[in-house]
Amino acid sequence: MSDTWVLGQRGLRETLRTPDSLIPTLFIPVFFLVVNVGQAGKIFPSGTTPFLEGQNYAAFQLPSSLLLAASFGTAALYLVEDIEGGYFDKLRAAPVSRTSIVLGRLVAEGAKNLAITAVMVLLALPFGISIATGPLGFVLLLLLTAGWAVVFAGFMQLIALKTRSAAATNAGGLVFFPLLFLTPNFVPRDLLTRPMEIAATFNPVTYIMEAMRSFILEDWTWSRLGPGFAVVAVLGVVMVVLNVRMIRTYD
Amino acid sequence: MTAAVEAQRLVKHFGGRGGTVEAVRGVDLSVSKGEVFGFLGPNGAGKSTTVKMLTTLMSITSGTALVAGVDVAADPDAARRRIGVALQEAGLDPRQTGRELLVLQARLFGSPRGEAADRAQSLLELVDLVEAADRRIKGYSGGMKRRLDLASALVHEPEVLFLDEPTTGLDPASRLTVWDEVRRINRRGTTVFLTTQYLEEADALCDRLAIIDGGVIVREGTPSELKSQLRERQGLAYGPTLDEVFLDATGRTRERIEGEVQEVHA
Repeated sequence: MSDTWVLGQRGLRETLRTPDSLIPTLFIPVFFLVVNVGQAGKIFPSGTTPFLEGQNYAAFQLPSSLLLAASFGTAALYLVEDIEGGYFDKLRAAPVSRTSIVLGRLVAEGAKNLAITAVMVLLALPFGISIATGPLGFVLLLLLTAGWAVVFAGFMQLIALKTRSAAATNAGGLVFFPLLFLTPNFVPRDLLTRPMEIAATFNPVTYIMEAMRSFILEDWTWSRLGPGFAVVAVLGVVMVVLNVRMIRTYD
Repeated sequence: MTAAVEAQRLVKHFGGRGGTVEAVRGVDLSVSKGEVFGFLGPNGAGKSTTVKMLTTLMSITSGTALVAGVDVAADPDAARRRIGVALQEAGLDPRQTGRELLVLQARLFGSPRGEAADRAQSLLELVDLVEAADRRIKGYSGGMKRRLDLASALVHEPEVLFLDEPTTGLDPASRLTVWDEVRRINRRGTTVFLTTQYLEEADALCDRLAIIDGGVIVREGTPSELKSQLRERQGLAYGPTLDEVFLDATGRTRERIEGEVQEVHA
């Protein structure tokens, strides 16, 4: 674990020393939030839209933006730089567990996302959004979002390790857009058309989005929260195992 | 006495769309403790692939490799604790400072925080980078990066140090500085396994050397032995240089190399 922590600290230093990389991570999700609420907010007035639970449409849209902010996978791009610059071989030549090499970057990605999510939620509060589950719900919302950031960074790291190319890794990250839009992104699942509802049911991101939304709009509803955490936990383990296997067989 | 490096029938195949590429085809090597061993060969001859296999960075298709008495395939972590590696690309993280990089490296080799900081300081002094220690590496010159890379390969006082083309791309002054470092490291008892494209470098630094071509070893001996063998075999009236030994061993001639260059331009 100490190796993971040492490598995680290095990952955090890397992030702090490239603040420019945080600008799109914050700006683009906020932009989508403003545009989506601006376009659809009037259709769903808070007083007459039951699924908003008395809040405004921005509260319903916020999880989409948080998920988008958690899906930049910058850790994988830093990994490509390490591979291209030779530092990755330096790490592989050290007696460090391969799991620590993987987890170090993912821990840093998770910590970075905790901060970004906290900033975005705190920025949203003055615009009438509140967290129905209170401070504990806020903390768990941060952890769930950071968990997804770790999963998606793990997925992008797989592409980075396989292709060793920044262009391919960047392109691989675009897979998040279909995942984001095949969800109950604009309305709850039961209001989607049948084909979209089926697609959303098979999409793991749906359960994370619904859990995040539940933290914001509902009281503690474990039937929505549980599946979200379960999806993140299962996908997190799968990503770590695949990453470790990929590094072990990396030639 | 156990050899510092012992490779037997080392083979590496790469599979690709065009079929299997036999990059290394049965290399036998024995490097004694305390030697500076030179490993030479033209581009694509199998030098870096061999080094990567010996340093646990690449899987071995067949054959065995012992480094500091440890089978690198059977117990890679034990081998990693005994070897230092500085590859062709100076493996550095440009966003860290020199000191941070060395402390991190020492901690990854098991040193506690305080001990790692002390070790980093002494290595910075060794490679004359104390003044630049707290600057980010991206601002270092090529020579400084090479010296830092060398230092990072020494954090755990390895028994065998692998240097893969450590002076490629350096200006003459920086190259001489790296040569001095290599000699100093070797005087402290570290075995050095050095690959290089520069034959004068091999002549100046190496006790013994091997030349690899097409994935097999084609010459092995001390620089003076190899030169004498060539002089006797070809009945030369003068003492040949290591360049001539290399060209003879690899079947290359100046005319052929010029032809290859012209072909590229066409």
